[in-house]
Amino acid sequence: MGPAPYTVAAAMLVATATSTAQTRAIQFEEFDLENGLHVILHQDRSTPIVAVSVMYHVGSKNEDPTRRGFAHFFEHLLFEGSENIARGEFSKLVESAGGVLNANTSGDRTYYYEVLPSNQLELGLWLESERMLHAKVDQKGVDTQREVVKEERRQRYENQPYGSILIEVLKRAYQVHPYQWPTIGFMEDLNAASEADYQAFYKRFYVPNNAVLVVAGDIDVEQAKALVRKYFKDIPKGQAVQQPSVVEPPLPREIRDVVYDRIQLPAVVHAYRIPALGTTDFYAVDMVNRLLSNGNSARFNRNLKDAQQKAVFTGAFSLPFEQPGLAILFAVANAGVPVDVLDKAMDEELHRIHREGISAEELAKLKAQLEVESLEQNSRVAGVANNLATAYMLLGDTRLINTELDRYMALTPADIQRAAQVYFAPWNRVVLHYLPLSQQNQ
Amino acid sequence: MMRRHSLLDRATLAGAYLAGCLLVPAMSSAQIDRTKPPAPGPAPSVQLGAHSTFELSNGLEVIVVENHKLPLVSVQARFDVPPVLQGDKVGYVDLVGELLPSGTGKRSKAAIDEAVDRLGATLNTSNDGVYISGARHNLPAMLELMSDVTTNATFPESEFGGAILRYRSSVQQRRDDPNAIAESVGRSVTFGRAHPYGEVTTERSLSNIRAEHLRDYYRHFIRPEKGYLVFVGDITVKDAKALAKTYFGKWKVRSAVVATLPDGTPELEHLGAVRTLSRARTASVKRRIHIADRPGSEQSVIRVSLPLNLHPSDIRALNAQVMNTILGGGVFNARLMQNLREDKGWTYGIYSSMEADRFNGSLTISVSVRTAVTDSALAEIFTELERMRTDPVTAQELELAKRYMAGAFGRNLEDPRTVARFALNTRLNNLPEDHYATYLQRLEAITEEDVRSAANAFIAPDKVAVFVVCDAKQVREKLVPLSLDTQQPVVELDVNGEPWKEDITPVGDRTAEQVQEIYLYGIGGREAIAAIHHMRMELTAEMAGVPVEITQWYGLNGKYKSVAKANGMTVQEVIYDGTRAVSRTPQGSEELMDIDLFDLLLNARPVPEMDLKGLVERSILNGRTTLEGKPAYKVTMMTTAGTTVIDYFDVEKGLKLQRMEQKFMYGRNLNVVTRYSEYQPVSKVLLPHFMEQSGGPMGSVTMRVQKVVVNEAMPDSFFDTGLPSLDDEKEEDLYYPPPEEKIDE
Repeated sequence: MGPAPYTVAAAMLVATATSTAQTRAIQFEEFDLENGLHVILHQDRSTPIVAVSVMYHVGSKNEDPTRRGFAHFFEHLLFEGSENIARGEFSKLVESAGGVLNANTSGDRTYYYEVLPSNQLELGLWLESERMLHAKVDQKGVDTQREVVKEERRQRYENQPYGSILIEVLKRAYQVHPYQWPTIGFMEDLNAASEADYQAFYKRFYVPNNAVLVVAGDIDVEQAKALVRKYFKDIPKGQAVQQPSVVEPPLPREIRDVVYDRIQLPAVVHAYRIPALGTTDFYAVDMVNRLLSNGNSARFNRNLKDAQQKAVFTGAFSLPFEQPGLAILFAVANAGVPVDVLDKAMDEELHRIHREGISAEELAKLKAQLEVESLEQNSRVAGVANNLATAYMLLGDTRLINTELDRYMALTPADIQRAAQVYFAPWNRVVLHYLPLSQQNQ
Repeated sequence: MMRRHSLLDRATLAGAYLAGCLLVPAMSSAQIDRTKPPAPGPAPSVQLGAHSTFELSNGLEVIVVENHKLPLVSVQARFDVPPVLQGDKVGYVDLVGELLPSGTGKRSKAAIDEAVDRLGATLNTSNDGVYISGARHNLPAMLELMSDVTTNATFPESEFGGAILRYRSSVQQRRDDPNAIAESVGRSVTFGRAHPYGEVTTERSLSNIRAEHLRDYYRHFIRPEKGYLVFVGDITVKDAKALAKTYFGKWKVRSAVVATLPDGTPELEHLGAVRTLSRARTASVKRRIHIADRPGSEQSVIRVSLPLNLHPSDIRALNAQVMNTILGGGVFNARLMQNLREDKGWTYGIYSSMEADRFNGSLTISVSVRTAVTDSALAEIFTELERMRTDPVTAQELELAKRYMAGAFGRNLEDPRTVARFALNTRLNNLPEDHYATYLQRLEAITEEDVRSAANAFIAPDKVAVFVVCDAKQVREKLVPLSLDTQQPVVELDVNGEPWKEDITPVGDRTAEQVQEIYLYGIGGREAIAAIHHMRMELTAEMAGVPVEITQWYGLNGKYKSVAKANGMTVQEVIYDGTRAVSRTPQGSEELMDIDLFDLLLNARPVPEMDLKGLVERSILNGRTTLEGKPAYKVTMMTTAGTTVIDYFDVEKGLKLQRMEQKFMYGRNLNVVTRYSEYQPVSKVLLPHFMEQSGGPMGSVTMRVQKVVVNEAMPDSFFDTGLPSLDDEKEEDLYYPPPEEKIDE
C-alpha cells in the first residue's frame, strides 16, 4: 500500500515535466465561476472512474513564522468534516462508494483528491464543496491530528537515517524566505495554535478564488459542468490572496556544515540555489540534474557508483518551487570511503560539465527519457488531474500540460553548460556532510 | 497455436456500487440539499479486457494484452522460480537480480546502461524476471536488449566485486535503519531463520558468495520452459508473435544439474544441493516478543505477524482479504487505523497485509508509534486481533470493505498491465481460468459469517510473532507482561536476527584496576573525591510513573541515610550507621542483612570505586565494546557476596556509563541496569546527575539530581539506625572540625 493518508508533498522531489507528445495532447476545458473558482474538465472514458480534486494556493510559505507547519496541519484537519459531515464520515463516504482519497501539502500549495467510480462524481463534488464552504473541526479532531502529525514527523524525518536532510538544507539555504522551514513544520508551533488561528487561516486561504477544481475521467462534460455549478457557485468569494513577495538575497558565500546522524555510511549533500519553477533556466537546471542521475548511465551513477565505487547511492533533483528553489545533489559513501573523497568526486563531475559541456548524444538521451516520462505521467486520470492543477496554479498556464515538454526539447548543449556554470557553483550552495554520531567527539 | 481468452467482456460492477437512485438528479432547482450525500448514478460497467496467449517451440509461453491508448509498451519475462534456502550464502539470490543486467555475451554493463537510457526505457530485473518499458517505436530495440539480458547474462567478475561492496555497505547501513531492520529481521521472526522467506543477509554470508553461484542459479532457474513473456500496450498480437519468435524463439538452456539426491533435490556444480521449502510454516509457539535495540529511537517500529498456509487458489483466500480489509488492509476506516490513529493519535498510520502465497502465506501488521506508547499500541493490536474473532463485523463494515475492494479492482484496470498480471497469476498459481472474471461476484457473495470464519481460521492472537525495533532500555521491561512465553518473555536480537551478543574486543594494554583508576582521575582525582566528607543530595525520581522525592546523606565511614517521599509522605527510609542498616517503610522496619547489606555497601557511597576492598574479590577487564554507539570498556567484578557486577566505562573520557547487577529480590532473579549521564562538577568532582534504572523491582526508574550540599555539618546521631544494639559497647563520639558549606545546584 502507499503511504499513510495525508502526506506532506515535500517528498515530491521530481520536477514536474507535466507534458506529453503533441500527438497525444490532453484535451481539457477550463472556465471560472463568478466567485473566482477556476474549473478544469478532462474527459477520458476508457475506464469508468473519475478523479475530483481541488488545489488551494496555500502552502508552508504562506505561514505565519510562528505557526510553521500550519498549512499541512490544516490539511489534516480538513478531513474532520463539515456542517453536514460528522467527524470520521468524510473518508467513510468515499470508501463506501468504492473510492480512495488523500491529500498532500508542499511549500506552495495544498492538494485534495478523490478517485471514485464514475457514477459517484456528484458525491466527490459535494464533499469538496463542503470542505470549501463550511469545514468543521471539533476539539477531539484537533488534539488527535496534532498527535498524528507529530508521529508523521517522527516517522518520516526523525526516525530514519538521513531523514533530516531537507530540514537541515532549507534552514541554511534561506535566511528570509519562508522556504527556510519544512512543510512538516515544528511541533512547538502547532502546540501554540489556537481556535482563532484555524478560523483566520480557513477564511483567508480556503476561498474559491484561491483554488482550482479539476474533474478528470469518465464524465459527460455538460453534466459535469452543471454539477460543478450546482455545488460550487454559491460559495462566497474571499479576499484576494497575496503570495509572499520577499526575495531571498544570494548566499553570501558557500555554507558548509556537518550534521551528525544515526548512520553508518557518511553522505554528502550539495544544495544549489536555482530559479523558480517554470522559468527557462529551471528546465536547464533540471537537465543538469538528469545528466547526473537519471538512469544507470547518468554521470553520477556511472562514475561515482560503478567506475570509482565511491558511492552506494546517488541522486540529483530540483525542488519544484514556484519561487526560487533548490537543486539537491547527494551521495551516500560506500563503506570505507572518506567523505571528502566523495565530496571531491561529486565536484569533479560538475567541473567536467563546466569545462566540456554535454555532447549531442547525451542530450538526445535525456530528451528520449523525457518523452517517455511525459507519456507515463499522464497515463492515469489521477495523474492527469494533478498535472492539470499544477500547470494552471504553479506554472500559470494549463496548456503547459501539453507543451512543457517543448521547453525541455528546445534546450541546447550550450544552455545546459551555461546553467551548470551559473547555478552549480560553490558560492551558490550549501554543503552538508552527514557523519555517523560515533564520530562526533573525535 | 493460439488461444484467445476473454475473461469478462462486459461485466457490470453489479452491486459493486452503492445501490441508489438511477436517475441523474434534477439540477434545475435552485436550492440544493447539502445535508446528505448525493445518490450515485447508475453503476457503470467494467471491462476486464482480453488477453491472448501462444507458446513458442522451446516452451516459453507468451501473453499479450493490447491497449492502444498511449504509444507505450512493456515486456516482461517472468520465470516460475521457487524460493530457495540460501544457507551460508544468503544474499546470492538478490545478487542474481542485481547483476542480471551487468554483462552479456556481447555487452558490458556500461553498454547495457547506455542502451537503456538512449531508448528512454526503464529496465528492471529480479531473480525471477526481467522487465522493460518504453516508447512503442523503440520496441524491437528494447526487446533485443531485454532478450540479451535475459538469455545471455554472464555475471562478470568485474561487476561482481562492486555489487558485493554495495550490498555490504547497505547491510552495514541497516544497523541504523529501523524500517530495514524491521523488514529483514522481522521476516526471520515470522518464518524462522531456516526458511527461504526468513533468511537474513549478513556481511558474513556475503563473503561466502562467488559469481559462479549466481551463474548456477541463473542456468537452473531462468529457462524458457519455465517462463512467460508478457507484452502489454500499443502492440498487436501479430507483431508480438513475430518479435517473440525472433528474440526468444531459439533460446535453449542445457541443464545445470550435475546430480540428483535420493529425495529428488537437484545438485548444481557450485551451489551444491538447491533446497526449497518442503511445506508452509504455520504459527506453533506461544506469543513471544523479539526486540532489536536502536538506542535513542524516537519511535518503535512494530511488526506483528503470523505465517499462514494460505494458497491463492484457496476458496477462503478472498474471505481472508475482506477480513483483512476490515482489520487494517488499506482502507482508512479499518479498525486498526481508526483505533490507533484516529482515536488515540499514536501513529501516522497502521496497516495489515494478508498475503495469500503459493509457498507460504502470512498476515503482517506494521506500525511506527512513539516510544512511550509502544506497549499500549501492542496491547491494542492484540485486542483488535481478538476482536476480529469475537466481535462480529457490522453490516456497514462489511459493505465498506466490499465496496472499497470492488472499487480498487475497477481502478486497477485503468493500467493495462493489470490484465496481464491476472493472466500471469492465473498460470503461476494454478487458478481457475475465470478466477478474475468472477472476482466481483465472489466478493459480493461474502457474508459476515464468512469473515468471522476466516478470522477464526487465520488469526491466532496468542501465537503471533512480535518484533519491535526500539530504544530497548525504555521499552524492554514494559513488554514483558505482553508476552505469553514465561521462560523468555522478551528476546533481544541483533541486526542480523541472531540472539544479541555483545561484541567484545580484548584489550592487552591495561587492567580492570587501571580502568577504574582512570575513571577516578577523569572525575577529578582521588584527592578531590576524598575531600568530600559529607554530602547531601536531593533528587527527584520517577518510579513506575510515580514522582518521588529522595534525599540522600553520605557521612564518614560509609554512613548513609536516604529518605524517599511521595506526595509528601515518607515511603521509605534507609539508614546505615557504619555497621548495621535498617529499612523503614509504612509497612514496618527491617534490618538489612547479608546480600541486602552488601548491596548498600557497594552502591551507597558517593564514589564506591574509591575503595572496593572487602567488597570485590576480583575484577576482570573483559575488553572493549560499544554502548549506545560509544566505545566503552567492560569491567566484570566478582563480589565477596558471590554476585557479579558489570561496569562500563567511556573509553575516551573514562566516565562510568552503566552498571549491571544481578539481584535476587522478591523471589525473582533480576538483572538491574543503571545508566549514568549528565556528569556535572560537585566540589571539583564530576558526579552523574541523571540515572536511569531498568530491570529492578520498581520497573523503570529515573533519578535526577536537583541539589547537592557538600560537607555540611551533621551530628553522628543523624545516622542512628534505632536498632537495638547487639552489645553494650558504646560508640565513641567522633569529633570533626565544623566544615565549610558549599552549595552546588
